[in-house]
Formats: sequence, structure tokens, C-alpha cells
Amino acid sequence: MSGAATRPIGREPAIRVRGLVHVFPEGTRALDGVDLDIATGEAVAIVGQNGSGKSTLVRHLNGLLRPTEGTVEVLGEPADRLRVAALAARVGLVFQDPDRQIFARRVRPEVAFGPSNLGIRGKDLDAAVDEALAAVGLSDQAGANPYDLGYSRRKLLSIASVLAMRTPIVVLDEPTTGQDLRGIARVQAIVASLAADGRTVIAISHDMRFVAETFGRVVVMRAGRVVLEGTPAAAFGEPAWPVLTSTYLEPPLAARAGARLGLGATPTESAFVEALAAGRS
Amino acid sequence: MLVLRGASYRYAGYAKPAVHDIDLTLADGEIVGLVGANEAGKSTICLVASGLAPASIGGGLTGSLTIDGEPMAGRPVHELAARVAVGFQDPATQRSGIAATVFEEVALGPMNLGLPAAETIARAREALGLLRIGDLAERDPSRLSGGQGQLVAIASLLAMRPRHVVLDEPTAQLDPEGTRLVAEALRSLAGTGTALLVAEQKTDLLDTLCGRVMVVSDGRIVADGPTAEVLGDERLEGWGVEPPSRVRLARLVQARGLDPALVEAGA
Amino acid sequence: MGPLAIIAIVLACAAVAGVAGRLVKVSALFTLPIAISVVLVSVFTRAGTTVLFTIGPFDATLEGVEFAAQTVVRLFAISTAISLFGMTTDPRAFVLDLERRGLSPRFAFVAAATVEAVPAMAARAATIAAAQRSRGLDTEGSVLARARGFLPLIVPVVLSSLTEVEERSLALEVRAFGRPGRRHLLWAPGDRSWERILRWGLAVVLALLVVARVAGIVPGTA
Repeated sequence: MSGAATRPIGREPAIRVRGLVHVFPEGTRALDGVDLDIATGEAVAIVGQNGSGKSTLVRHLNGLLRPTEGTVEVLGEPADRLRVAALAARVGLVFQDPDRQIFARRVRPEVAFGPSNLGIRGKDLDAAVDEALAAVGLSDQAGANPYDLGYSRRKLLSIASVLAMRTPIVVLDEPTTGQDLRGIARVQAIVASLAADGRTVIAISHDMRFVAETFGRVVVMRAGRVVLEGTPAAAFGEPAWPVLTSTYLEPPLAARAGARLGLGATPTESAFVEALAAGRS
Repeated sequence: MLVLRGASYRYAGYAKPAVHDIDLTLADGEIVGLVGANEAGKSTICLVASGLAPASIGGGLTGSLTIDGEPMAGRPVHELAARVAVGFQDPATQRSGIAATVFEEVALGPMNLGLPAAETIARAREALGLLRIGDLAERDPSRLSGGQGQLVAIASLLAMRPRHVVLDEPTAQLDPEGTRLVAEALRSLAGTGTALLVAEQKTDLLDTLCGRVMVVSDGRIVADGPTAEVLGDERLEGWGVEPPSRVRLARLVQARGLDPALVEAGA
Repeated sequence: MGPLAIIAIVLACAAVAGVAGRLVKVSALFTLPIAISVVLVSVFTRAGTTVLFTIGPFDATLEGVEFAAQTVVRLFAISTAISLFGMTTDPRAFVLDLERRGLSPRFAFVAAATVEAVPAMAARAATIAAAQRSRGLDTEGSVLARARGFLPLIVPVVLSSLTEVEERSLALEVRAFGRPGRRHLLWAPGDRSWERILRWGLAVVLALLVVARVAGIVPGTA
């Protein structure tokens, strides 16, 4: 831990995956040789069709799945040396469906479950829970029954219950599914604030606009392999379109319109507007 | 034509209505989009428009639901089912769980109506054909992709030959390819004269799919009009609805003092 | 003698169906717990004249051993017969046939859906376990640690099952599932004439045996 302060943020590898293959017992080859490095403090989006291996990949990061072949290192340590309970202190994974994890009758104990499993107690626990509830905008719902909340707030609750574990790496599986405008804006703010704290964020998403506007790097998967990776400008730029099309993804409108108007790579809405303004002046 | 007039609905066990004074008209061959923030009342409107609320789930309804001029109050669900079908977001929970093949799954509805076997088979074939998923007929319905599963769920409804179809976030759980498949199917379905009400968060999808869009906020309809007009409404974000990318981008361009028509030119 | 003959017939049928190995294993598992208690109770507590051996205050008699052996063989015969039915009958075809013979479609659905729901429930439970392990729940550690994980695992399984049942019943209702009256089923399970003859034949044999037993022609084995 002491070394972290001396090394520049963004250089230390948070995740290092080499030659990762995963074959499920019934024979499906869900991952077919994945190499991936994610630096500390990076915000990375993983995109691709259902069944392309995104969820299988992230489940290796906290040891829920073990490689058939290849290696996974988390914060410099091989993941296979650690139990899931120990990896949970390093990698917080938020599942897609909140109803597959909510069990407490009040919001507060639900959020406290993760950190107390990690041995966080007393004032530290209270602080972690308060901070997580504030981050997702549920501070005034701490005493509510989770099942009285609507789906999108239950989803934010499931995110809070992982944020409260204060893991250096946070993985979100489709955090914007079923969310409305405010929910999506909330998730965007959470990712930004995690990244600002120097924590590493990895998200799986089908929403290309959300991906382009929120993440520093995009990893495109197809049939268990990484077929494209780069900044949103590279991943959604015109040269990458054939690869995207091959996996049924469409770049966000800003990127498409920018290319058609000859403005170059404009993955985000602000980049598009700036390029347009520069072109007209 | 399906018409809701002044409909207010209260769930069983609740003191206050979840939706108030809903007026909704669904004409033949029309696709109407329904948008709104989470918990604004989209799902409730879907249940009321399909008659499931109150026919199946109880609760209290004031106002009226009429289909082709006939009042639907007091009719049992199986009678409503042949006039208005309703689909939900999760393909897995819409599966009966008792069919070994997609064909059997799709045939379940007409079979339940007590139709002769030949008629049931004809309707199942027709429904699969309408959605162009005839090639899935012999597949195990529990082993399909999300998009395919949702198409099978919709085909299962179509086999009842309803003139009206209500879908509550049919693409919420789908990837972009699944979403595209469902959107295409809905377009060709409307082409056959079926009226569709589609509740969705994805305004980019509704933007190209619907002729008309309604906005629900706090249980009330706050806007109802042609798609471009409603999705371009300044108040949309205030109602908790994300404007389509096209609209957002044009607004940003305009705010920078540039011509918003440039966005259309690039799109 | 009777139960042994039945076991032989059932095993022969199972061998033809290619499930003999599995059948013996499953039937043994079913029989074992009851068999153990029957043996303990009857061997040592049944009164008899021929004492074979003595353990503490208990005498094991020849009559007791005979009774235990007979009971175990009967139990095994019953469980092989039931297991053979389970292993060689497609539950969907069975339920469809029951409906064809006049059983209510609702009952038939409950029966079929219960069989079908098991794998879905197992998959859901696996996802829930994965989600809770990601939150630091220790399912690999001490017994105490694992006991702590009971509620976080069971509550979501129960709640999500309830939601699913609710959603599924709505989805079925909109397909006119609740409509009263008969349905015209599309498929009838194959039923060849020799199968029909065999079925009726067995029913007649059963009736004759019952009559014979009641009339005292066939001695009961007490």
C-alpha cells in the first residue's frame, strides 16, 4: 500500500489478464484468449452482444469464476491465490439485477452487509454506509424497506451496497439498464467521482452514448475475444465502424454525425459541438 | 380502436390512485410511444389499457376501457386476451415453461381459446411468420437469446390475433441487436393494421418507431402528440425523460450559436 | 418371492430402456434410510424363538432377520418401480396425456411447471450466491461464517421466485390460460396398440390379484 503513493496514479496495473480462456462445464467456450490491462484509476467500458463473454470476463476479476487457461492478476497479485471473500475487498462487483441480492428489510443494513463482511465496524462502517447512500442519492431512504422502492432506486441501492465496501476496483454490470434520465445521470456522476478518487471503474453496457460520454476507454468483445479497444474517439471513429457493425453495435449519434460532416472523431456530444464550431469559424 | 376515457386506477391495498384521468386512443395500425420517468405510471397504464388491471390483479378503476366501441368492464381476462394482448420486459418470465418447442409455446394461446387443432396450428404458423422467426419453431424456448426470446413472447401474443398490442418496455433487457430485431418486428406488425402501445425508456428507438408519443408524469398524461413535437418538447427532461440523441445534439449545437439543422444533415 | 420377481421384471425393463445402472443407484438411495431403521428395529426387537446372536440386552432372532429382509426387499421393489416410471416417462407427455384424459389444464400446468421450474430456480440461486459472495459473503469458510449467510441467500431466492410466479401467471392469463372448458390438444403421446393391450392386461392382472388375495387364494406374507 505504501508504494501506491510514490508511483504516479494511472501507471500501476489494477487488472492484468493474460490468455484467459473459460470453458463452461457443458462445453461453451465463453472466453477464448483474452488479454487485457487496466491501469489504476482508469474508467473502462466493456461492450458487445449478449453472449460475447463480458459478464464471464468480469466474474474472473473477483474469483467467482476461475480460468480454464490463462491468468488474472488483481492489484499485482494472482487472483487464483485468493478466495472470493478476500478478493471482495479489492474488487466490488455490482450485478445487473438488484433483486438477486437485496435481502434486508431496511436500506441501511442492506448497504452495511458488504462492508461488515469485510470486517469494517463501528464508526468506519457508519461512515462507509452514509457515504455510499449519499453517492447514489438515497440518504433520506435509509430507513425504507428496499422493496418499497421502485426498480431504479433498488438498482442504485445495489450499487451503494458495493460502493460501501470501498474497494479500489468497482465493476458495474449494465448499471443503466432500466434507468431513466435521472438514474443514468446519477450513474454517470458515480463513475466520475470514483475515477476522481483514483479508483478503477469497469462497466458493462449496451448504451453507446453513456459509454462514450462517461468512460476513458472502450473494450469491444465478440465471441469471447477482445476485437477492439481504445479511447472512445478510436473505438467509435470511422475506421472502427466495420468491427462495431460486425458485432451489431452502432456508434453514438455524435460520432456518426461528426464523421459524415467530415469533422473527424467526435465520440462525445461536446466534442461534436466543438469540432463543428471550429469548422465554422 | 382501443379507448381509455378518464381512467384512474388504484392498486389493491393502496389509498391513492397510481394513475389519474388517463385519456388514450389507439387507432388501427398506429404505434404510440409511452414515455416517463421510472415510477411515473407507465406500467400501470399498460396494465389498465390491457384490462389486466383490474380484471386480473384487482384494485379499483374509474373511467372506461372500450374496444371497438364495446365496454370491457367486467369481462374475464381470457375474453380480453383475444382483443388486446400485453407483453412485458423479461422474455424469461413470459415463457409458459411447459412447452418443449417454440412452436408449442406460440400455439399455447390459441389452444387455450379452445380452437380446433388445425386452427391453432395455422395461427401459430402465421404468428411465427409475421415476426420472421419460422426457423426457430423447433428450438427449445428456454435456450434462445434475449432478442429471440422476446420475439417468441410477442409471437405468442400475436397467435391470439389481438387487434391491439400493449408492450411494457419490450427492449429493456435486450442488447442492441435484440432491440433492432424487436423494433423491426413491431414495424411490420403495425403494417398489418395491429395497433401498438409501446412503453419505453429508449427515446432514440421511439423516435424512429412511433407516429405519436405520450408522456406520463406523476400518474398523469402531460403531453400527447406527434413524435417529433413531443420528443422535441423543452419540458421533456423536466418530466424525467431523456430526449433522443438527435434532439440533445441539436440543442447543444444551437446553444453554441450554430445551426441545429447541421445535426440532421449528419444523421 | 413376490417382491423379488417384481424387482427382476423391473430391472429387466430398465435394462431394455438403458437405465438399469441409474435405476439401481437411485432406488438404493431411496431405500437406504428406511432400510437401516427397519433392520435395526426388527432384527433386535422382534420376538422369536431362534436366537442367532446377542448384542447387549438385545437378542437378534431368525424371525426378526427374516422380517427385516422381507421388508427391505419390498421397499426396494416399490422404489425401483416408481423410479422406473420417473426415468422413462417424459413429464410433459405424461401431463399432456392426463389432460387428454380429463384432468384440469391448471393442475396439469402446476405439475409440469414444477418439474420445469427446478433448473430455473437452481440457476437463480447460483446468481444470488455469486452476487452475495461478491459482497464478501464467505461461503467457503467456517460453519459459523456460512450460517451467517443463510438469510442473504434464501431471502432473494424466495422473493424473486414470488415475483417470477406473479409475472408468469399474468403472462399466462393474457394467453387465455384461465379460460374454462376443454382445449383441443395438438399432440397426443404415441400410444401403440400393443401398449394399450399391455396396459389393460396389467390392470386386469392387478384386479385379479386383489380379488385372489381378499378371497384368501393367495396367502399374504405377514
